[in-house]
Amino acid sequence: MPELKINGSIKSYESNSFPASLSDLITALDLSNISIVAEINGTIIRKEDFPNTALQDGMTIELVKFVGGG
Amino acid sequence: MNNDNLVISGREFSSRLFVGTGKFSSAEVMSAAIKASESEMVTVALRRVNIADPGDNMIEKIDTSKCQLLPNTSGARDAEEAIRVAMLSREASGNNWIKLEVTPDPYYLLPDPIETLKATEKLVKEGFIVLPYINADPILALHLQDAGAATVMPLGSPIGSNQGIKTRANIEIIIEQAHVPVVVDAGIGLPSHAAEAMEMGADAVLVNTALAVATDPVQISTAFKLAVQAGRMAFLSGPGSASKQAEASSPLTGFLA
Repeated sequence: MPELKINGSIKSYESNSFPASLSDLITALDLSNISIVAEINGTIIRKEDFPNTALQDGMTIELVKFVGGG
Repeated sequence: MNNDNLVISGREFSSRLFVGTGKFSSAEVMSAAIKASESEMVTVALRRVNIADPGDNMIEKIDTSKCQLLPNTSGARDAEEAIRVAMLSREASGNNWIKLEVTPDPYYLLPDPIETLKATEKLVKEGFIVLPYINADPILALHLQDAGAATVMPLGSPIGSNQGIKTRANIEIIIEQAHVPVVVDAGIGLPSHAAEAMEMGADAVLVNTALAVATDPVQISTAFKLAVQAGRMAFLSGPGSASKQAEASSPLTGFLA
């Protein structure tokens, strides 16, 4: 089963439900309304590149956002 | 005080109060407190999204037409981590301002001077406007200034401790020597602490916990705004110095004579 490591947790997918692009993943996680920054295998992905960033089995993905801080 | 704007890296600020956004009971209270403070420099932190409970989009609650967003690198334990957070923050904020914090020790959260200097050198080369959080070390402040830091941000006392300005003597030396703005950060728990820093000649102060944990965060934000203005005005007025002996305020030319 293909899997992704998202924010430190492994998530397994059936082959037919594996998100094709980073945009698809964000939509599937219901995070579309949040300003998110993504890093795949240590490389920052620009927002405009989310739709054309293809996901592959075994990728490590970090999704971060701003929170309160001093 | 018409032309007394604070200038950092070419950007002018009419407010000398920076505020943090942590620990508020809600995004609405935070937003109201920022408004009351009239701050134009607002700090935020970057964290992993909790996939199960992503929370709200707090950045929407900050009016970035009025405030410069200043992401911090809190949580970073060395220069490498701080640089990574800075890069991600730049992508998230769309600007290149960064409050550099490198705090390897979770108990006192004191900043690591060596890693902070390393990260500053690297981030300046990458085009960031770097505002480093430091211990009140005058020599380090000069090194950071030489490395291209836009300000230096010496601590008054440990982050979130509300202890006030325990590093006064060293902050005075930093203010005397620095060519970049000096922003007193951390430990400011009361408006009187903020006023004290401004009376000493600090260019600005950063306050977070003192606002967020107050029973009435909005009202105390107004109090901090006034204290910063009062302290700045006092500094510009050239206050008299302290003396050991009494100095009569009334003329001593004889009683009723």
